[in-house]
Amino acid sequence: MYNEMFRGSGLRDEYAVIDAWLKKHGPTALLDRQAEAEELFRRIGITFAVYTEGTDPDRLIPFDMVPRVFNEKEWSIVESGSIQRAKALNCFIADVYGDRNIVREGIIPEAMILNNPAYLSQMNGYRPPNDIWSHIIGVDIVRTEEDTFYVLEDNCRTPSGVSYVLQNREVMHRMFPDLFEGGRVRPVDGYGELLAAAMQDCAPPNCPGKPTLALLTPGQYNSAYYEHYFLADLMGIELVEGSDLFVEDDVVYMRTTNGPERVDVLYRRIDDDFMDPEVFFEGSTLGVPGIIRAMKAGNITMVNAPGTGIADDKSVYTYVPDMIRFYLNEEPIIENVPTYCCERPDELTYVLENLPELVVKEVHGSGGYGMLVGPTATQEEIEEFRAKLIANPTNYIAQPTLALSTSPILTPDGMSPRHVDLRPFVISGKRTALIPSGLTRVALQEGSLVVNSSQGGGVKDTWVLSDRTSHA
Amino acid sequence: MLSRTAEGLFWMSRYVERMDNTARLLDAGRRLDALPRQDGAGSSEWTSIVIASGCSESFPDGPDSATSTTVREHLVRDETNPSSIVSCILAARHNAKAVRPSLTSEVWEAINQTQSDLKQHLNNEFDRKNLNAFLDWVQGRASLIVGAILGTMLRDDRYGFVQIGKWFERADATARLLDVKYHVLLPKVSDVGGGFDYLQWLQILRAANSATAFRHVYGRSPDAEGVVDLLVLNAHSPRSLRTALDQLDIEMNALTKGNAGLQQALLGQIKSQNQVLAQLSLEDIFARGLHEWLTDFIRETNNLAGMTAEAFGFGAPPVAEAS
Repeated sequence: MYNEMFRGSGLRDEYAVIDAWLKKHGPTALLDRQAEAEELFRRIGITFAVYTEGTDPDRLIPFDMVPRVFNEKEWSIVESGSIQRAKALNCFIADVYGDRNIVREGIIPEAMILNNPAYLSQMNGYRPPNDIWSHIIGVDIVRTEEDTFYVLEDNCRTPSGVSYVLQNREVMHRMFPDLFEGGRVRPVDGYGELLAAAMQDCAPPNCPGKPTLALLTPGQYNSAYYEHYFLADLMGIELVEGSDLFVEDDVVYMRTTNGPERVDVLYRRIDDDFMDPEVFFEGSTLGVPGIIRAMKAGNITMVNAPGTGIADDKSVYTYVPDMIRFYLNEEPIIENVPTYCCERPDELTYVLENLPELVVKEVHGSGGYGMLVGPTATQEEIEEFRAKLIANPTNYIAQPTLALSTSPILTPDGMSPRHVDLRPFVISGKRTALIPSGLTRVALQEGSLVVNSSQGGGVKDTWVLSDRTSHA
Repeated sequence: MLSRTAEGLFWMSRYVERMDNTARLLDAGRRLDALPRQDGAGSSEWTSIVIASGCSESFPDGPDSATSTTVREHLVRDETNPSSIVSCILAARHNAKAVRPSLTSEVWEAINQTQSDLKQHLNNEFDRKNLNAFLDWVQGRASLIVGAILGTMLRDDRYGFVQIGKWFERADATARLLDVKYHVLLPKVSDVGGGFDYLQWLQILRAANSATAFRHVYGRSPDAEGVVDLLVLNAHSPRSLRTALDQLDIEMNALTKGNAGLQQALLGQIKSQNQVLAQLSLEDIFARGLHEWLTDFIRETNNLAGMTAEAFGFGAPPVAEAS
């Protein structure tokens, strides 16, 4: 198992600063300061609501203070691989709602698109500015060796978590300024600028001047509300709720103390189904009646556009390497995890024979719910999944359990390795880019491979070291 | 600014002011209750506190049944009562969270921390000693929040809506507090102007945090004329109705700048009410009857608050109970 802090039997140079810091303070004393870090998070207001009855609705997401480090070379793989993926995924979505060349070329079966609940036929023929459908894509990446990365899944709808990336850094800066002396850790401050610029780049065709941006939230009871206002604040734009917006003559306005004000680009953090009761879920009170008409009339751009879920489905995932070849004429920089589609009979047979070694996931599931982790599952759990697989094979995919890399965390018994993944956030406007960091999620249970915050995962500050040293 | 943001700022501020005022009222009730009883003295203090808090309708079994224990319960913990201290803190934080991007981190942290700390306080049984400590804490938190607002917020429209929320609430609270005296029974008619009367006025001043100010301004013992002058007409008292209307005048001037329609409809109303108050004398008030005059004032101020909400695109506030 690859521990990211070490190279062979020795400490990696990249971790020298952190190692010295750990030795200077000692894990026990650092752990004592965990409370201080949590108090900072709580005061800032960072909480993560989990939909479980009887728990504190404003629970803090656990934060481990030991940073995770990437050097420039490693980061260039992550960066170029994620950008490549985001470009291909955007081409794919445009193709799905456009000419469907990838179907005509026989690369992806049309049924896979048409039978997918995330496919929105209402979007057929729509062309967003710059042909960007998913302006913000979270690419979940895991690692098994120093230079071996895999993409675990793509998040093309409304990926969340970037606020933790920025606030984890902020808290580490406040608590341990010494760690950042010398300027080797590349800053993450540019995220707001990057996203706002991409939104401006994608102003709708009929935008009358400098575009007015806004962020649409379901409101303060949403689990990611903190992130919504954090991002609105970061970009200096209004945080609106559905009731603040209305559509008149296919133009979207917000109600202000000075009367109606036009909105041109809307970063919406509401699911497709709830966006417009005229087109999707009729009972929705979270969305804005008529906003899809306004979008199609070229009067507003939605970030991300509706219908992007077609690209991050777990069955579509298996085709992303083919998309990269088809649309970009490139080879994938980061590979997919080998994946068995249970709807294919031969692959289902393999999966059923090897359940104790595999991870089985629901095709449309997310958040780490409804999955089987073979190596840690009980015999009953395995049999339960076997029955589900036989009953409804198209609903599942399976992957080998990867020997995920680990990163050390602080525990009452000292430092201890835990499995980690990484979610960089790729922003697309006129160009495609990301900030030098991402969300590192860490499984806090020893041996656990599930890093989702809804399942007891935590987060870490994630560093990208610059090769340039300002102090030799 | 979004109308919803204006609404959130307005109500956040009103609830912060109200939690402070409810704490002061409870403190006044405690002090009135502790005054030595003479023959025939009723236990109307707690009833008057319930009426002054605007909670007559929500009070279980009606205000006449009020005792120190039931008032404490209703005005501190009862979450079904929108004016209880717990409700005020929760509502202030709820509104603050909804407008979080419009607040500085200092203001947000002050409000958020208040709700976090509230949980510990509520674990305590509120006997006399604990209750005092709790009421002190509430007033301290309110000061901290108001201080954070004054010290860190940009003087723009957001600040303006916070200020008008505060001044509408304070005008209402001061008027209701003065009216307490009307509802508190004196043992005998001949006691008017006597020692017991004086003690009651003193407790009203204390609840308005104005006992020391009274001595500074008037250099004599509290009496009806002095207290009403200080809390209604005095333009230097931070708790007076006059000051509240002056401040509303100033803030509304800034908020309606450049909007002729609003200036005519809203600012004009505030200015005219302020002018009436500026020209008013004590004699006018007592000629009308203090209770009657205060009742009119409370109604007119609430009308203005409703007009304000409507003018800026948020719903009218819930109709406050008339005393």
